[in-house]
Amino acid sequence: MNLALDVIQALLLVAIAPLVRGVVARVKARIQNRRGASVWRPYADLLKLFRKQDLVPETASGLFRLAPVILFAVTVTAAAFIPVLHPSALFGAGGDFILLVYLLAIGRFFLMLGAMDGGSSFGGMGASREALVSALAEAPLLLALVSVAILAHTVTMSGIVLSTVRQNPLHLSAVYGFALGAMILVAIAETGRIPVDNPATHLELTMIHEAMVLEYSGPSLALIEWANAVKLALIMAMLVGVFAPWGMATSTSIAALVLAPLAFVFKLAVLAVAIAVIESSMAKLRMYLVPDFLGMASALAILAVAFTALMR
Amino acid sequence: MGLIEFAAAKALASSAVFLFITLLMMAAAKRISTCIILFSTQSAIMAAEILALAYAGKSAEAYAVAALVIVVKVVAIPYALFRIVKDLKASQDVASSTTGAQSVFIMAGLILLSFHVVVPYAKTLRLDEDLLAAAVALLLAGAFLMVSRKKALMQVIGLLVLENGIFLAALTTTYGMPLVIEIGIFFDLLMGVFLMGLFVFRIRDTFEHLDVSKLRRLRG
Repeated sequence: MNLALDVIQALLLVAIAPLVRGVVARVKARIQNRRGASVWRPYADLLKLFRKQDLVPETASGLFRLAPVILFAVTVTAAAFIPVLHPSALFGAGGDFILLVYLLAIGRFFLMLGAMDGGSSFGGMGASREALVSALAEAPLLLALVSVAILAHTVTMSGIVLSTVRQNPLHLSAVYGFALGAMILVAIAETGRIPVDNPATHLELTMIHEAMVLEYSGPSLALIEWANAVKLALIMAMLVGVFAPWGMATSTSIAALVLAPLAFVFKLAVLAVAIAVIESSMAKLRMYLVPDFLGMASALAILAVAFTALMR
Repeated sequence: MGLIEFAAAKALASSAVFLFITLLMMAAAKRISTCIILFSTQSAIMAAEILALAYAGKSAEAYAVAALVIVVKVVAIPYALFRIVKDLKASQDVASSTTGAQSVFIMAGLILLSFHVVVPYAKTLRLDEDLLAAAVALLLAGAFLMVSRKKALMQVIGLLVLENGIFLAALTTTYGMPLVIEIGIFFDLLMGVFLMGLFVFRIRDTFEHLDVSKLRRLRG
């Protein structure tokens, strides 16, 4: 029964990831007084891309085609570490949150290699910017997770989620507040949303992720886009799991099993609307202000770790 | 446990954390009006805490002090500051000499420092460690805001934050001063803000800017 839930929740995360993107895009359109495309549009886009021809630049090596496959595989593997419907995960016993963070890093590394392999100057520029952002986002993400792990006395994601779900939401430690602040800033940078990166732009001066995937087409592009959507859903699910997991199925009763998906979808929808509102109300930061943005996340994460010793 | 008892206990237990959060946000804030709103929020948190203390101690004087805090620090002073900002027609930028990340790092360091300083006293005097640390952190943060922000108005806000710290320190160590003295302090503070507001206008009129780092010579 638990194993079935583990598999279902990992597949759920991968399957609904494009929908999350669609919802964010739709809400943004509504805020801007447009009707916007259907929330199912990202699925249609993926289907279209999978049917198209895969064009590879003449200068590119085999790595160019390999990179999207590795990125997608690694991201889906990472999704199997996240507790979604109940405080346990498919690979929960096989690895801790450090492995999770660096699985995502492996995917990013190969995407950067693929971007540089494409041979266009934009690919190299996007890759170098991505390297800067990810190097600066890694420390606060790990430190924030460490602070929560210290409180939970465990390093596995499922253990961390289990320890939060057992606590009364009104008696949470202050550490969670600071860690949440740091994680939100990191999540914005990691998933390439405004104010760090604009997923809707193709302006040379500002794009990070879009510059990296500029040379990709067809099924390769579809894999990259899907992996990126899964990463967004994964990080949102991680925020929900660590900081607001109440409603997850802690037993296998029918009521708990019905409630858990509803609660998760509701929390994901709230986060998606929050992203849309933030993206519509803020301007993108200049590239050189991004380290400053992530520096704040680092300060908060350090404070969170220090507070595990100071406050209970 | 009734709802009011629960709210009072929660206010006492977690107000220090909320004060830290306002301080960190003040360090990150780039606009003067954001800082004013944060100061107002900070004062509101302190008012909630005094109300909780008043409820626990069942003293009528503390209710009066809480009412004073709400009237003067949550409403009147922020309102006056907003009026000054509006009438000055100057830019909203706080003109910080440290970057946002540096400010937040320094603020986090000050919070940790205040914990370090306070722990021995809190143990011997049997006081609430978190609240005393919050009081010291407010003091340090106010001083930090005054030295690192170049706009004259931010000096006023820094001083107000510093004053909040002194007030909180008095509250946590002695459960507040006598009501007459409190009224005197609040009246002083209100007058102080009006005077500093006048000064800010004078600075703008004579120097045509509000950047205190450029005030190097006298002008008639």
